Amino acid sequence: MNELLAIRFDFDTFWDFLFDPIIFKGLWETLKITTLAMIFGVLLGVVLAIMRVSKNPVASSAAGLYVWFWRGTPVILQLLLFFFGLKQLIDEDIFRDNWTRFRAAVIIFGLNEAAYMAEIGRAGILSVESGQMDAAKSLGMTNLQAMRRIILPQAVRVMVPPTGNEFIALLKNTSVLFAIGIVELTNAAKLQASRNFRFMELYSVAAVWYLMVVTVFSIAQAELERKLAAGERDQPETLFSRVIKVMGGSRG
Amino acid sequence: MPRVFRTFLLLALVALTAALVFSACGDDDDDNGGNGGGGDIDISGVPELDDGVLTVGSEIAYAPFEFFEEGTETPDGLDIDLAGAIAAELGVSVEFTNTAFDGIIAALDLEDFDVLMSAMTITDERSEVIDFVPYITVGTGIVVPTGNPDGIAGLDDLCGKTVAVQISTIQVTMLETQNDSCENDINIVVFPDNPLAVEDLRTGGSDANFSDYPVAFVDAEASEGTLEVVNTQIDPEPYGIGVRKASTELNTVIAAALDAIIADGTYASILSDWDLSSIALD
Repeated sequence: MNELLAIRFDFDTFWDFLFDPIIFKGLWETLKITTLAMIFGVLLGVVLAIMRVSKNPVASSAAGLYVWFWRGTPVILQLLLFFFGLKQLIDEDIFRDNWTRFRAAVIIFGLNEAAYMAEIGRAGILSVESGQMDAAKSLGMTNLQAMRRIILPQAVRVMVPPTGNEFIALLKNTSVLFAIGIVELTNAAKLQASRNFRFMELYSVAAVWYLMVVTVFSIAQAELERKLAAGERDQPETLFSRVIKVMGGSRG
Repeated sequence: MPRVFRTFLLLALVALTAALVFSACGDDDDDNGGNGGGGDIDISGVPELDDGVLTVGSEIAYAPFEFFEEGTETPDGLDIDLAGAIAAELGVSVEFTNTAFDGIIAALDLEDFDVLMSAMTITDERSEVIDFVPYITVGTGIVVPTGNPDGIAGLDDLCGKTVAVQISTIQVTMLETQNDSCENDINIVVFPDNPLAVEDLRTGGSDANFSDYPVAFVDAEASEGTLEVVNTQIDPEPYGIGVRKASTELNTVIAAALDAIIADGTYASILSDWDLSSIALD
């Protein structure tokens, strides 16, 4: 069985491309776009979440409409609509020259992500017991002050796991950017495979790099969760905390 | 909910899911039946044709070679018609399987279909993996915005420009080779299929689109006056019907059928129907 695998899977090709500059270029594109879009999405998402829970009907419905549209259409359709479609409608050089592939990718993915982050933010805010808001109000804080100083800091702890999920999902969804001509990790592998017909080897290279990034990110997320749990009786165990315990140190 | 009812509901759900999954397992075929009992070619020794059907893999998004008739799921095009004529000559019917171009050779290898016929140029790299029966000779064309603002006349003028192409095509290789002799690199933008590449040109994301000449011509025609094709066909090369290396008998009968339809004038008449007599095999 191993012989069968070895005959049809060329390990030389796999190792060659694992550290190939073209693959790294694709990986870098993926990371750049994912990080920028995620930052944009989180910031906008939190604002939308506050609007959604607000008693102001205008704010609440505007945010609701936003979430409805950006969650309700596939991101690849959004890319085609707002990259190609907008440029078709607006035949001005000043727009077309500045609405580049890369900028459109970051902004459209960011707008899409904000819709999901809005719901995560809303869940986080709702998870903070209503007594906190009452107490804040009784101290004379406005809604926004209470949000910023009391509610959101507590909501963040609940928001971390689903936000981590969103980052990982976004990282992988960027592969659809090929439709607007951006070659990220998956399609860098695809391009190379189309030349040497070694599909299995190259797709495996891409898979390895996605897993590497997700692994590093998961470790970082676990550490963040542990930090946010400071002061709790049962501290969540992370890879580092277990390693340190084994080496005889004390960490909670 | 009473226990028996719950169990029944669960079983019903499982049965429904199973039914849906199995009904979805079917072939995605487009039928283009030829008349049975064609010519005098003996196909008894050809295992692929035992079922009386020649299955053809093609990326049906490349007018005028293969495309879907507007608003339908019926394939049409030069490759479609030639495949139909060859199948008729062999006394079998023909079915098309729409397959993405960049995986089509792998799909042929995996026996998803008997042959591939997808406006594919015969190259040394491709010939290492599969065999070809040449059937027409086609060059590459450059599509630019109407009025040719960058004054592009040939491959050399693409240096320093942004050119949109489809993945896995010879055009990608041609541009990379051209880059070696360019002072300013060509910004090669790759897309999953050619229509998206043309869209990028139309919306100003690229300066030119590089594709097979007849395709470039048709894209310019269909662009409502926004695009035009540069009037030189670059490096005409033969296109081939792709056959697995192991399918030697199939290769022989396909070549024989092609010879037959060239000899009796069917080939010439199909080409002239599509205004593509200029790309006949010579």
